[in-house]
Amino acid sequence: MKPIKIINATGLACPQPVVLTRQAIESNDYVRVIVDNDTALENVKRLGAKLGCNVKCEAGADGNYEIDLTRKPDAALPKEDFVPSCTTATAQTGPFVIVFSEDKMGRGNDELGAVLVRAFLHTIAGQPEKPDVMIFYNTGVKLVLRESEVLDDLKELAAAGVEILVCGTCLNYFEANDKLSVGIVSNMYDIAGTMSKAGRLINP
Amino acid sequence: MSSLIDYYVMLFKAVSYALKAEKILKAEGLPHKLIPVPRQVSSDCGVCLRFESALQDDIRAALAGKVEIEEIRRLVHWVTHGSGKN
Repeated sequence: MKPIKIINATGLACPQPVVLTRQAIESNDYVRVIVDNDTALENVKRLGAKLGCNVKCEAGADGNYEIDLTRKPDAALPKEDFVPSCTTATAQTGPFVIVFSEDKMGRGNDELGAVLVRAFLHTIAGQPEKPDVMIFYNTGVKLVLRESEVLDDLKELAAAGVEILVCGTCLNYFEANDKLSVGIVSNMYDIAGTMSKAGRLINP
Repeated sequence: MSSLIDYYVMLFKAVSYALKAEKILKAEGLPHKLIPVPRQVSSDCGVCLRFESALQDDIRAALAGKVEIEEIRRLVHWVTHGSGKN
């Protein structure tokens, strides 16, 4: 077990939590940052993603968040500047959510829609700004099943800390519970709740 | 310190060619991935097939005479970098 560097960034104003995290990750492989607000949470998570770290985040009972950043072995940190977003308008609005209500992207032609959703997920998996949560319902759940063409991209996103919620009712309807290959079975409370508090919500 | 991922992308004149090629490669069990045409190759919104460099000959052979290939491009992708440049 590698030593863990703990940064208590509670009570600090933006961009201090990001500055401290950046300094800590330069000399430690494993950093835990404790923050007390959504702005700092989103900024530290974005910084971690940008630096190529594995990012895991947990909400504590005291209203604080613990964010664990783990550097990938032998990975050099990129040198580009990271600009934290300190304005409340962009940072305090809740998670970035992508909703897949179908196993295709757009409507009109199913074959084309299936191609587009694959290209979309490949791109999302490769870009630094990852969603916080991805939600799959109705035929969207077919994307997380064993035979899905996009499983590799979704697994990569899950490994990067993206939460993948799959509609349990839908799995049940398609009799596909045993084929679920990525994500967790969720319910309408979590799905409706996450969508309701989303800062940004994309429905490709 | 960088590691290099060496891929090739196969470009087609139309999306339907890419889909046809994919069907053939699937049937032959040749690993590949359908991806958007990389930005550095073209700014058009298109899809192409990406595969590992070692598979180039097998893939060309599987598609020969069945699907018209527009171009095959090498796609070098540095996953990490120690220099300040991207």
